[in-house]
Formats: sequence, C-alpha cells, structure tokens
Amino acid sequence: MKSTPYNLVMSALYKGKKGERPPIANPTSIVCQDLMDVAGISFPHAHTDANAMAELALAGHEIIGFDSVMPEYSVHQEAAALGCEVDWGSRDRMPDSRNFPYEDFSVIRVPDDILEKPSMRVVLDALSILRRHVGGKAAVIGKVMGPWTLSYHLAGTQNFLLQVGLGENEMINRMLRQLMPVTIAFARAQFAAGADIVVLADHATGNLVGAYHYKDLLLPIHKEMTAEIEGPLILHVCGNCSDRLELFADAGFDGYHFEWQVDSRTAVEKVGHRLALVGNVNNPQVLFQGTPEDVRKQVRYAIEAGVDIIAPECAVPLATPLENLKAIVQAAHEGY
Amino acid sequence: MIDIIEQIKDAVVSGKHKEIEGLVRAAIDEKVDLNMIIDDSLIKAMDVVGKKFGTGEIFVPEMLVAAVTMKKGLEIIKPLLQGDASQPKGTILMGTVKGDLHDIGKNLVIMMLEGAGFKVVDLGVDLSVEKVVEKVREIKPDVLGLSALLTTTMPEMQNVIAMIRKQGLRESVKIMVGGAPVDSMFADKIGADGYGKDAAEAVQLAKKFIGVN
Repeated sequence: MKSTPYNLVMSALYKGKKGERPPIANPTSIVCQDLMDVAGISFPHAHTDANAMAELALAGHEIIGFDSVMPEYSVHQEAAALGCEVDWGSRDRMPDSRNFPYEDFSVIRVPDDILEKPSMRVVLDALSILRRHVGGKAAVIGKVMGPWTLSYHLAGTQNFLLQVGLGENEMINRMLRQLMPVTIAFARAQFAAGADIVVLADHATGNLVGAYHYKDLLLPIHKEMTAEIEGPLILHVCGNCSDRLELFADAGFDGYHFEWQVDSRTAVEKVGHRLALVGNVNNPQVLFQGTPEDVRKQVRYAIEAGVDIIAPECAVPLATPLENLKAIVQAAHEGY
Repeated sequence: MIDIIEQIKDAVVSGKHKEIEGLVRAAIDEKVDLNMIIDDSLIKAMDVVGKKFGTGEIFVPEMLVAAVTMKKGLEIIKPLLQGDASQPKGTILMGTVKGDLHDIGKNLVIMMLEGAGFKVVDLGVDLSVEKVVEKVREIKPDVLGLSALLTTTMPEMQNVIAMIRKQGLRESVKIMVGGAPVDSMFADKIGADGYGKDAAEAVQLAKKFIGVN
C-alpha cells in the first residue's frame, strides 16, 4: 500500500494494512485563530460560505499537515435548519444557539427541503469542493449531529436531561425518533456530495449521562442509524466514556473518536479489535496550554497504545497555538 | 421522628419528587424541628447526591431530579422559618463568563449551594467583566463563583479576577472557579482562591471560605 494521506486514513479506519506511519485526522475542528490568520479566512465567514469553508479545511491539510480535510466547524448546522436562532460567532468565538424552539417537546417540524437550508447546503457544497481538490489524496470527512445532540439544541440540554432523570422515556424516545431521519439524511447527502467518512457526533457525554442511559435510550437508535447509513461512520462522544466503549462497538460504528480522559490503552484493550480508535490528544491542558513536547508525548503514548488514527480529542480551542497542532503531525511522522 | 427525617432524605436522594411534599408536610405536622428537616434531611441528602455523582454512581439527570425534589421540600419549609433560622449562611454570586452560554454545571452548583443554606444570586451566562465587577460591588457577596465549559472562554476568568483586583475589591470576596476544562493548576495560575471539580466540592469550598458547616 502506498503511504498516501488518503490510503493511510482509510486503511486505518478499516484496520487494514499499516503504512509507514500512523495517519493524522480531524474528525472535529482544528481551526484556531493562528490558522485563520495564516489562511486569510476567518469565522464566521467560514461557517456560512462554501468556498471559505472548503478553503479553511484545506489549510488544515496543506498548512498543518493533517491527512484529512473536514469543513464543518460548528455543531449548529442542523439546529439552524430546524429553527434555532444561531449566532455564528466571530474569529474569537464559536457559534451558539440562542433559543430552544422545542422546549415543550412538541412535534418537531422537519422541513421537507431541510438539506437545502443554507446551513446544510453550505456543508454539502464545501464537501464537493474538497472532493474536487483533494479527492483520493486526503480523506474527506463530513460531520453530522446525532439525535441526542440535536435534542440538546432543540429542547435545551438541562431541560432534556431533567426529563431523562424524571424517566420520561416515551417523550425522550419520541424526540429522538423525530430527529433520527435528519441525521440519516444529512449523512447520506454528505457521502453523495463527496465525503469518504462521516463523523456522527452525539453527546451522550461521559460526565453528563451514564452508560445505562446510553444503553436504554440511545443504543437502539444508533443501531438503526448505522444500519441505514451505508458509508463508514466515526462516532464522537466527549467525556470519559470508558464505561460504554463496548456499547459503541455494539452500535455498529466503524470508528470511535475519543477524549484523553479515556486512557488509550484501556480503549484499545476493550474495543480495539472491534472498531478503529481515533484520538485522543488533550485539548485544555496540552494543545491549548502545553508545549510541542507535551503534545509529542501524548501522541507517542497513543501510538504505542495502538490508537489507529491520531487526532485532537475534540474541536480545538480557538487560541490553540499552531505549533502545537503541527507537533501532532511531526510526532506521528516519526512512524510506528 | 428519625424515621421521617430518613424518609425525606431518601426521597431526595432517589428523586421522588412526587412524594416529597407529603413527607415534608407530615414532618411539619409531627412538629419536627424545621432546621432539622433542612439540615438532616435535605442538605444531608444533597451531600449524598454529590458524593454519588463524584463516584459516577449517578449522573446529571438524576442529580437534576434530586435538586428539583430538594427545592420542592425547601419551598414548603422556608416561609415557616423565623428569626435567625431564616438567615442564610452567606451570600454567593454565581455566573458563567463572557462568550460562554453553558449553564448546567453552574445551575447544579447553585442548587446544591441553596440546599446547603446559602443565599445565591445567579448572574446568568455570557457575563462581561464589567457586569461581574459591578455586581460584586453592589451585592458584596462572601464568595464569587465563576464557571466556564469551553477552553475558549477559560481566559475570561482571569480577566474577571484581574479587574476585581484592579478595582480594589479582591480582599472583600473569595473567588472559586469550575467547569470541565478548568483544574486546580489553572485556578492557582489565574489567582482564584479555589477550584471545585464538581458541585459537591464547590459547596465544601464555599463552607470553608465562609467558615460554616
């Protein structure tokens, strides 16, 4: 196998042949202020304009040296299309929703043309642009929000979790099932637009909910979604999920993108034979506040543990120094 | 009497929000000392809840329900308290810093602090440095609690503390910080008085700062 960026990522995702070095991918955003300045493209423009979005994604490949390109930097594309008022932020601030249109858990009105809503269309167009530029060279990664995350946006996180605590399982299930088709449709459209891999982020986060919540309320839905979306899927769930790794593998995902809080040795031991592990360089202490040497240590630790694809654990803080992101690439280029 | 105290405590710990009102009213009818209901049932229950959360036995959904249950109980008792018994243990100002709209962690801390007998003023989210300083000056809290969930907004905590110092208010208020990306090293670095890794720790910190149990 040729050790090209595309081959390395795809082979590692399927746990196939190993190339000369481990691949470096970005299932979540690696955009920082330094990168925006060097590329000459900034937020919020890169959230709303397909060309700017694609160009900033390319900068991650061409300037930092990641083996993949991923153009979706916010978690609010679907929320905006479903009626949330999204503030797209600025160079120094990530987007956020300003309201919860379904706080009352009423029937969700999913527009028939949801894929044509500007916040959805922009991602699809950016993926197609990236496909034309680096298809077959770098792995093109798309990203969708799962129904659990969308419920946070539509009903409010605290409100949604309170209903979970109150045991309103029917209401929770109804909301998740109304949102599931949005995730499926967007993922399929992203593959059709040119994505090689789609990341499905669904924040049944370790420190927020328990493995039992995931198992009872979300696992059945994840199983249905992985069966309906044909292309390769990487699940992203933040927090310490050491207690539910097997459940993620049961759900049928091809990869799991995980945080530093999950020890990579534990992850490899528990599920390394069932799905590809993608991660897990720490954001707040290491990428944001640490030195390139701190970054190198974590990358080498992950590689030695057997992590398949090296990546930051989650969307990087905007003030992350560019040299720390480059240090991930350099450490992985040292080889296995 | 011991029995009903235990029953109320269990109801809060297991989030029996529908039963709490009846139990508290029964305790009041039995002439159980009101402070005893608060201290030995409601507050002790939230201690247990905090510990269970710390060990990963329960998670945010259960904690929210316990807090709602505790609040329901407290609301029945509060109007009946007289004199010293109704005095809060101290005043705490809480808020999420500029650029950050996340408030679950902050809200959980507030619920636990209220359960522990403090008066809490919630400043909300996305707070400018000026707004926090203005409120510290106006309300004169014993403790200021700052929260941030995002690594992007952590530095705002430092800005708030620096401004409080510049305005000559630093000696008048203890400052505690918390939130997913924050740790004690960061708290020390930015000149906070303490860091709480979860809501239970935040309550312990506030008690230590004010010198109450």
